[in-house]
Amino acid sequence: MTVDPAAHSAIATGHDLRAAFERARKHSLRVRFLKGALPLLAALMAVGFVGYSYFVTPASVAVVTDGSAYSDGKLVMANPKLEGFTKDSRPYKMTASRAVQDVKNEGIVQLEGIAAKLPIDKDNWAMVDAPHGTYDREKNTLDITSDMVITTADGMVAKLKSAFLDMASGGMKTNDPIDIETKGARITSDSMTILENGKVLVFENRVRMNIDPTRLKSGEDVSGGQDGVQ
Amino acid sequence: QDKAAQDGKGAQGRLQGLSLSGKDPIQIESDKLEVRESDSVAIFSGNVTVVQGPTLLKAGKMTVYYAKDGKENGGGSAATGSANIDRLEVDDKVYVKSNTQVATGDRGTFDMKSEVLVLSGKEVVLSEGSNVLVGCKLTVQMKSGEAQVDGCKKGSDAGNGRVMMSITPNSTSGAGQKK
Repeated sequence: MTVDPAAHSAIATGHDLRAAFERARKHSLRVRFLKGALPLLAALMAVGFVGYSYFVTPASVAVVTDGSAYSDGKLVMANPKLEGFTKDSRPYKMTASRAVQDVKNEGIVQLEGIAAKLPIDKDNWAMVDAPHGTYDREKNTLDITSDMVITTADGMVAKLKSAFLDMASGGMKTNDPIDIETKGARITSDSMTILENGKVLVFENRVRMNIDPTRLKSGEDVSGGQDGVQ
Repeated sequence: QDKAAQDGKGAQGRLQGLSLSGKDPIQIESDKLEVRESDSVAIFSGNVTVVQGPTLLKAGKMTVYYAKDGKENGGGSAATGSANIDRLEVDDKVYVKSNTQVATGDRGTFDMKSEVLVLSGKEVVLSEGSNVLVGCKLTVQMKSGEAQVDGCKKGSDAGNGRVMMSITPNSTSGAGQKK
């Protein structure tokens, strides 16, 4: 049976027509689906991004620095400055000449040339000066393992061999000898703990206190120590 | 009862030694010192030794109460030791030695303003060389060095409200209190 090519093509065309129609129908179905799905997907992604960026930002305190350089896996910052508030919302400030942070463990920052200002009470604060120390960003603590000096606004000068400062709770602890001099009184001991922002001081092991009543009464300034705070 | 208490009034005596002067530097040593700024108190504990000039005081614990100044921020602070001291309380076996006099008791208080030292306890002993005075309460006016020993309350097991005093006649020191 020979088929007339034209007829054949007609049938084919008819056949083609139906296939074409079918394809078109599927296409429009797909389009209709995508017209709804794509915007929804975009919206979801946007919400996801906002949520992700909110949760991932570290809660610890931000460090402001003048400039920073990156060398052999270490981030070196020049005079970083860090400010925050203690539990009873009094400001504390810590500056350093240099901060070195290992990229692999960015919670720990090695600081050099540290100057920290910690509140004691309404009109009294303590200045901490130390050559170097380790600052833990998560726990907000500063571990100083070298000689350091603490001076307070009311004229107390404390020389310590080491100190572990908890900036948030305003506490401090050292198991090395301390030497504290004030107007007319001097305390030395082998260890000291400061709690509640300087409200409670505990000295232990070979505590010795020398009081010079004459200078106490007249309240002259400590001859050696600086007058107020620099 | 009063008469007995009167009776046991205790020996008046002149004690040059036991005097704390306001000028000489004081040195305090102890195992531990806790300074509580808010309560204006400093607590020395563990082998407390206080030396001022000829006077030496030893006790298990000494609490220094700083005067709470009227002004809000107060003159000095207990921490810096520059606040003026209101009174001292010593506990846990007190031993006070000054030149030739030695006094021992269970507890003691020393009020800086009135400069009165009071030693109390089951048995308070005040001795100078071989002269001994025993009672339940020793009150010393630090300014004048005048001391008074009171007997224990009537019927208390320690004594019968009377002061025990023994004097060795040819004892060296010139004081030689006579009852």
